[in-house]
Amino acid sequence: MDYWIKNERGQSQFKGGRQDWVEAADIAGSCPEFLLDHEDELVAEEETSCYNCRFRRWTERTFICVKC
Amino acid sequence: MKIYVAIDDTDNINEGATGDSANQIIKLIEKNHWGSCQGLTRHQLLLHPDIPYTSHNSSMCFIADIEAGYLELLIEEASGFLERESAPGSDPGLCVAVEEQVKNLASLIHFGYETKNRVITKEEAYELAGKLGVHLSEHGGTGLGVIGALAGVGLRMTNNDGRFQGKLKLKMPGAIISVAEIISSSPTESVQSLTGHVLGENEEVRLGEKLKTVLLNGKRTFLVYRQEGRSEWETCTNAQLKDY
Repeated sequence: MDYWIKNERGQSQFKGGRQDWVEAADIAGSCPEFLLDHEDELVAEEETSCYNCRFRRWTERTFICVKC
Repeated sequence: MKIYVAIDDTDNINEGATGDSANQIIKLIEKNHWGSCQGLTRHQLLLHPDIPYTSHNSSMCFIADIEAGYLELLIEEASGFLERESAPGSDPGLCVAVEEQVKNLASLIHFGYETKNRVITKEEAYELAGKLGVHLSEHGGTGLGVIGALAGVGLRMTNNDGRFQGKLKLKMPGAIISVAEIISSSPTESVQSLTGHVLGENEEVRLGEKLKTVLLNGKRTFLVYRQEGRSEWETCTNAQLKDY
């Protein structure tokens, strides 16, 4: 399944929004680029999650992966 | 004198963390005996495609009580630190406000809230800082961090915004602990539910994995919740705290 959509700037935006905890953990679990962000910025309980990754850039409704 | 110190934009996508930089400035103040500092808070600003933040657009602020004679030295040393130690490509900004000298606290607080709602320019930040008599300076790159730095002070002054940096160290996850013990053995000042109920000293809380506090009603507040159908209080998860 493709979890990403290109936004108007050509960036890879997560389709699952800000609360798709299962998918975000699933993707991060097999992502070679995953890097845990600073403790203050962690939002997911499962540590290995796109939501906790240093390379996600939050938007109002979801996030952009700067490594995709 | 009571001062507010805020910084922003000291990291890049690969390295640095603004919270760590702020902690270094706290250490600088305390190591030199210029004064004492209170907890560091993280303040969320607007997420917008036109704002060049690294990943989350937040700024960090702390309060310090210092001898007036050290103010200029503090600003000078903090500025030098940001210039030397900020990550390559970052745009650091520093704001230092002496509470009793700020000409209009309400407009500084208003600016803080504005940065959550619209894209603000560097020029607007400098103009307001000049009017209010607040120190605002940039220390590399585009210097856009001045916007978040000024906002960080304004939001801290609301007494109702931001999460405190770091985790509380109490007992192991799963342990049940009284409110009185939480307050006596950590910097927590109040234990409150997500719906606003302030817990009494004898009430008990089951501890979770990560114990974080937020700034509410001017107090360092430990937030808890009750699962449906259960009587015991539990500590909030990261997901529950992400909007603070």
